[in-house]
Amino acid sequence: MSQSNSRRPWITLRAPISRRNAIALGVACWVLFFLIWQLAVSTGLVTELLLPGPLKVLGTLGRLLATLDFWIDIGASVLRILVSFAMASVIAVPLGIVMGSFRALEAFFNPFMAAWRYLPAPSFIPVLLMWFGTGEGPKIALLFIGVVFFLVVLVMDYTKQVRTEFIETAMTLGGTRGQVLRTVIVPAVLPNVVVAMRQMLAVSWTYLVIAEIVASTNGIGAMMMRARRFLHTDEIMAGIVVIGMLGLLCDTLFRIAHRLLFPYIDESAR
Amino acid sequence: MRLQLENIGKTFPESKGGTVEAIRDVSFEVGANEVCVLLGPSGCGKSTILRMVAGLDRPTSGTIALDGRAIEGPGRDRGMVFQAYTSFDWLTVRQNVEYGLRLRGVPAAERHARAAHFIDLVHLTKFADAYPKVLSGGMKQRVAIARTLANEPEILLMDEPFGALDAETRWHMQELSISIAEETGKTILMVTHDIEESIFMADRIVFLSRHPGTVAANIVPAFKQGKRWRRKEEVLELDGYAELERDIMRLMRQQAGAEAAG
Repeated sequence: MSQSNSRRPWITLRAPISRRNAIALGVACWVLFFLIWQLAVSTGLVTELLLPGPLKVLGTLGRLLATLDFWIDIGASVLRILVSFAMASVIAVPLGIVMGSFRALEAFFNPFMAAWRYLPAPSFIPVLLMWFGTGEGPKIALLFIGVVFFLVVLVMDYTKQVRTEFIETAMTLGGTRGQVLRTVIVPAVLPNVVVAMRQMLAVSWTYLVIAEIVASTNGIGAMMMRARRFLHTDEIMAGIVVIGMLGLLCDTLFRIAHRLLFPYIDESAR
Repeated sequence: MRLQLENIGKTFPESKGGTVEAIRDVSFEVGANEVCVLLGPSGCGKSTILRMVAGLDRPTSGTIALDGRAIEGPGRDRGMVFQAYTSFDWLTVRQNVEYGLRLRGVPAAERHARAAHFIDLVHLTKFADAYPKVLSGGMKQRVAIARTLANEPEILLMDEPFGALDAETRWHMQELSISIAEETGKTILMVTHDIEESIFMADRIVFLSRHPGTVAANIVPAFKQGKRWRRKEEVLELDGYAELERDIMRLMRQQAGAEAAG
């Protein structure tokens, strides 16, 4: 068993491979992807008008990043994410924690929250447009609706996972209900709250694009729709790349924040 | 300090409807400075009894009183050490031990001094500023013991505190607990299913039978000559140890036999 592992790790079930090889394989997949893409364009297999090659997209991205307009679009998008996500978090995190701590509050709110979760947020767009007009209102509202109900339930579930022995220990040390909530439940669930926020921020980007494509004059999504009108496929694809990069950046920032905020977490125990 | 349990009964509702009687008519007392061990086969309800003393569960019938005051809920006069590790992982060892003191606003200087004393008592001074993630299982239980003692409970409750530890760490912890009992004069009520542990630790063993759990015997290990021995092997080689261990094993087996027959 161990012999076959050392000789042919790549085809042995569950055999570990070196970190260098793992990275090389990951890069190889991307290289292959771009190669096939470029090849398909160069050989005329696809029309460049509908699918420009990766080099063209990269060039367009560079050109766009040199214009102020593109940065204004990016700024508008990021601002929408920040405002709506802050509003959703301010409501969802405390509510989720108390719902996870008191069964009566869970029983009261949970069926309501659960029902809203299964209503697709974009289905509210027509009515949001009627209520809020075409300004920032409907976009912020859509992002808020898309995030808040999921975040509440995630935070509630994580709060319910706080170990009972922690709570009972604090009570036998003389902790009152409020003290146990503040000094045990909140710090115990906080790392997972950050995890839940990271997960929901990714969802937030999805709704952002929908909001900006449907009804917006600025933002990355709106820029892409403008580009479509003039058949600037390369600009659309540059927009997709930027959204992907921004999403990845948010995720990375949350990961780093998690590591810095919670140095006491035993990663090996997970 | 006097803990009194009088005619304690506990029934739990069953999923099918109806109830199951877990504990029936349990009465015993624990006096000041005593190390009392609740021993019995699994399913005898010994942990439930301890939880009721802690105020985490309520008896269906009977009364539990500490110094004549009926127990209504958890309180810092009855500190509890659980089998599962309960070191708060977001606090350092020192902050863990100070936790109870901080809750009731003990001034920082006094808090630090008291925590340092109890951290030293459980030999963790070198780890005072470490987070629990770097501690072994035995060290985590020592944090739990120090944290409970620093809070100055009237009685220390321990629910199979060494059950999750390996054999070697376990007897080190048993000896450490005995020396702590000697040095602090603290009253201890401990639950275990380990016969050897109960004989080594106990001034008195309350043996429980099961289905329903009730007091089957009150055993004082007289062969220990009313003394607490700090080394386990000293107790194991005393005349009378083997006989008591054998007698308790027979009691345990009777319980198992009754189970098999019934």
